[in-house]
Amino acid sequence: MEKIIHPESAPQADPKSNNQGAPAGRVLIAGLVGLLVAVFLNSAALVTDAKRLPDGASRSLALAIWTPIESGASFLGLTWPRAAGERLLGRSEPEQSITLFLEPTEIETASKEEEWLVEGVEEEQESKNSAIVGLAETPESVWSSDSRFELWVVGDSMVQFFGDTFVSLAETSASVQATSEPVLASGLSRPDYFDWPTRIAEIMTNHDPDAVIVMFGGNDAQNIRAADGNWLERFEDSWLQEYQRRIARIMDLVTSDKERILLWVGQPPMRLQGFDQRMQLVNKLYRTEAAGRERVQYVDLRELFTDSSGKYAKYLPDESGKLVDVRLSDGVHLSHWGGEWLSALLLQELRTSPKINELWDR
Amino acid sequence: MLFPTFAFGLFFVVVFVLNWLTRPHPIVWRVVIFGSSLFFYGWWNWRFVILLLWAIGSNWFAGNKIDRCRQLGLQDGIRAWTTVAIASDLALLGVFKYYDFFAVELSNLLGIGTALPLLELTLPVGISFFTFQAMSYVIDLRRGVIQPMKPLDFAVYLSFFPQLVAGPIVRASEMAPQIANRPDPRQVPSAEAFHLILRGLFKKVVVSSWLASNLVEDVFADPEAHSGLDALFAVYGYAIQIYADFSGYTDIAIGVALLLGFRFPLNFDRPYRALSLRDFWRRWHITLSSWLRDYLYIPLGGNRGQTADLYRNLLITMLLGGLWHGSTWNFVIWGAIHGVALVIERSLPIHRIHPLGRWVITFHVVCFAWVFFRADSFSGAWEVLSAIATPSGDTKQLNVGLILLIFSAIGAQFITKSASARLASWMSSRPTLLQGIAFGIGLVAIDLLGPDGIAPFIYFQF
Repeated sequence: MEKIIHPESAPQADPKSNNQGAPAGRVLIAGLVGLLVAVFLNSAALVTDAKRLPDGASRSLALAIWTPIESGASFLGLTWPRAAGERLLGRSEPEQSITLFLEPTEIETASKEEEWLVEGVEEEQESKNSAIVGLAETPESVWSSDSRFELWVVGDSMVQFFGDTFVSLAETSASVQATSEPVLASGLSRPDYFDWPTRIAEIMTNHDPDAVIVMFGGNDAQNIRAADGNWLERFEDSWLQEYQRRIARIMDLVTSDKERILLWVGQPPMRLQGFDQRMQLVNKLYRTEAAGRERVQYVDLRELFTDSSGKYAKYLPDESGKLVDVRLSDGVHLSHWGGEWLSALLLQELRTSPKINELWDR
Repeated sequence: MLFPTFAFGLFFVVVFVLNWLTRPHPIVWRVVIFGSSLFFYGWWNWRFVILLLWAIGSNWFAGNKIDRCRQLGLQDGIRAWTTVAIASDLALLGVFKYYDFFAVELSNLLGIGTALPLLELTLPVGISFFTFQAMSYVIDLRRGVIQPMKPLDFAVYLSFFPQLVAGPIVRASEMAPQIANRPDPRQVPSAEAFHLILRGLFKKVVVSSWLASNLVEDVFADPEAHSGLDALFAVYGYAIQIYADFSGYTDIAIGVALLLGFRFPLNFDRPYRALSLRDFWRRWHITLSSWLRDYLYIPLGGNRGQTADLYRNLLITMLLGGLWHGSTWNFVIWGAIHGVALVIERSLPIHRIHPLGRWVITFHVVCFAWVFFRADSFSGAWEVLSAIATPSGDTKQLNVGLILLIFSAIGAQFITKSASARLASWMSSRPTLLQGIAFGIGLVAIDLLGPDGIAPFIYFQF
């Protein structure tokens, strides 16, 4: 049998630490009571977090646990301290941020076909010779340091890794003002988490940018809640139609002004094969939707971020042949160099329009 | 499995119960703790568990051989098995952490492009921590300062989940007696543990996350777009962020271990009150700096020999200490700055400088080094420093709240230990149930004050 020792007699015991302890059973009860108190006081936030989870067993389980607790806590008046705290900190209450994007919009999309994998889309896109070449031929589109060419970059966490670099690069022209707005873990599948159509509509109304760059998809390969409240299984036909409708809505919102252009950035290759396949599927949707629109340019990143065998690579040779790490160790996001490469590519795409090109040639 | 998550809370409640129920049965208890630790580690990626098992098996086997050779007086055998074990540990680190870095650097040096194959492996969480613990075990066996551990004891020691992924780096000499001897189940230091867990969560969820998401990340992502004042405070902010992040993890780890009847060594002792770099390294990541001292600096010669030898030993130790953190030149530069600063400090009569001056110099040297530690690249670090050196533009990020947070966090370094101990002591004099309720309220308050979404602990990547 082992010898029982007092914890404080163990090596490295801090002589100033308290010497009082309690029986393990009592500590367990105290800990459980503490967790129970935390769960009840925090139940509204727990329900909010559960609602944000991707549709599936985890979400259902979390909601099944937290919802009745939240009801009970609310009945007992235990949710007000958290709500009061939120108000004191000037935050909206958790429930207020959960507004499902259910607006049923009829949008004329380029692809009415049942087949979402449109044959020849790539060729069609290429035949457009860049959607932005003919931009800004009108007198209003002459920009200067007083009336600057305004650029917005929006999207999920991918934007966080190149947005600021792109902004700096774009603003090397005094006639350009660029803004980057990434929202982590966001996308088009879960407007209940972050409602991009509403936000993009706000940006269009309040800032009227000349060009917009969007990048979504990394968080979108999950079930979608349709307008009728039902969940649509990922990549089933109904999901594909709904997702494509959401892509179309973003494209329509941005190009509602006939002077404005949109660069839709596709997902780069991913290290994990399954994730990469899913991203290739959403890329095809973006490409398909962009192909039929005059002022939308799909930007393919696969060539930029694959090695000579066409596969994902963390390290790639730059122009001088020197190997640089272009991806982060998570196999998803872009590194500092990857962000620079993408920024350069996006600027190059923008500069295919002679008028826009002038901005950096002055 | 991250500490500040519901999944960990659930996991820990189960482990806590099993721990104290099975403690009277040594074998069952060891199996339970070892199994729990593997589950905890496998939560990230089950493939990593194989690596951990390899580290456990190979080091225990080599340790046993070292002990056998010691008993037989076979010095060559001791040396050979120690070399094998350390080579195996370094190979593990080399393959997963350093191979690509050196292959890329060599390729660029020779201009051979992609001729050398790259592994592009995912870095297993905590590999640097458990391999260092494993190496300390075999080296201590070789030195004869510890006895070999039984296989299950060693498995529990190396895999023990509270310190597995981000330290503290606990020595076998500290853990073995605690594994072998049963703590008193009537004396679980709950108040101290709850206090440490809440303190750690506050540091991580509130201080570190706020500074990261409201100041540091934006400025380091694009230093040129920010004013000099923004950049300067982002560097101060990062100094606080990394301290709050890492020491927060350590506080939680120590608190969790206390609830299971283990006491870990101190890992941070208010490092930003240091009046010299030497003092800083006695207070920052103490278990790593003492590891480097005992297993690298002293074997290199330590303070013995000529002054030049001492300086060389310091520089080598700090350079390798930098490389331990990651396979980029920025970490090497970070280590070099500390090495050079330590050499300069030893060669100058710094004791003549007023303590306030020494504090200002020490703090700013540490912050200067943090720029390289945090930046993505050398050019990124240079941009931050350039932004500070050429103050211009309006501040975009700074606000009164952030400034107050940074100064309060620095000020908190000067609070005496006894003040913190008094708080824990006061808590311990309250009924246990009240401690639990206070713990629960504390959890809610921390969650309320923290920003949405908590990033993984910084030191997980090392």
